[in-house]
Amino acid sequence: MMRTALLLLALCLAAAAHAAEPPPGLLTLDGRPAPALKLADMDGHTTDLEQLRGSWVLVHFWATWCGPCKKEMPTLQRMSAQIPATGLRVLLVNTAETDDEVFAFLPSVAPDMNTLMDRDGKATERWQPRGLPSSFLVDPQGRLRYLALGGREWDAAGYLAFLRGLAGRR
Amino acid sequence: MEYWNRILFCTLFPACLAGAASAAEAPEPGTYRGQGIVLHASARTSEQMAAFYSARGFPANAVSALAQTCFVTVGMRHERRETVWLELANWRFVDAAGNEVRRLKRSDWDAPWDQIKLPPASRATFGWTQMPESRDLQPGEPVGGNVALIPPAGVFTLEAKFRVGDAPNGPLLEARIPGISCEGHGAPEVKP
Repeated sequence: MMRTALLLLALCLAAAAHAAEPPPGLLTLDGRPAPALKLADMDGHTTDLEQLRGSWVLVHFWATWCGPCKKEMPTLQRMSAQIPATGLRVLLVNTAETDDEVFAFLPSVAPDMNTLMDRDGKATERWQPRGLPSSFLVDPQGRLRYLALGGREWDAAGYLAFLRGLAGRR
Repeated sequence: MEYWNRILFCTLFPACLAGAASAAEAPEPGTYRGQGIVLHASARTSEQMAAFYSARGFPANAVSALAQTCFVTVGMRHERRETVWLELANWRFVDAAGNEVRRLKRSDWDAPWDQIKLPPASRATFGWTQMPESRDLQPGEPVGGNVALIPPAGVFTLEAKFRVGDAPNGPLLEARIPGISCEGHGAPEVKP
């Protein structure tokens, strides 16, 4: 009986450790403070990353001309629908495009998503993504913890398990 | 625009290149595949460049400058277990006579953009559509974008070199893509 319990405990610990491991394609960062991010969406509603302390935040930089963005965006929407926003907030940041460009694109690939507008591209520049698309995971203390390398399939099982794990340890 | 999007998709998300390359036994024109690397390079036409940047609100004088430049769209992905160091400074574009084709670095665009007062949003878009000058490519990481050249006459060859390993002075990998052409390149009629 005791051996079974210990085995179960070991399995649970191994599973927890595995869930904490980032899936392939996520680069672990050094925990430096995230750059400031305060932008408005197309309706003029402003979001300030600073105000989202206490939750993990996925900050995703994208543009309509970027092919991988078109493929990745629906996976972000499906992932968002499966993880409570109290544990993980998803902030899309469009880089240097107009309302017309975004409005013609976003409803066709991710109609439930909204995006902040980095109209002059300067916020994106401050974050120094490695390219577009690019996603950063910011921890509840406002530190950069992970960087997605290129477009990722955010609703794949490995990513969902990892993100649920993050959302559960605020 | 759909055509351009497809090009950019394959460039900036080279998984589709990998699929295309593996589907064909014969070497695919414009593609190098070997040593754990898939590298693709193809020149854009003036019309493609003008259409892409015009559609994004670039002013006519900027579009004209872009249309007179030879842009090679490059996409790359590696499946090695180590870092691959991208340094465009180590790449050469050479014509049939072996002469080096001059590459325009990102910083080379600063003066012309300053001169025509290119708006910040356009400068940002232009910057993000260019190939990074330098990058420590992690396993599986894609990279892509345009490389700007002074238009050469005739076909030319890309000779790309990469260092691999933990530091940027590791063993050298070389990849070669012949048969690239920007012929017929010139300034198209640009409607303001």
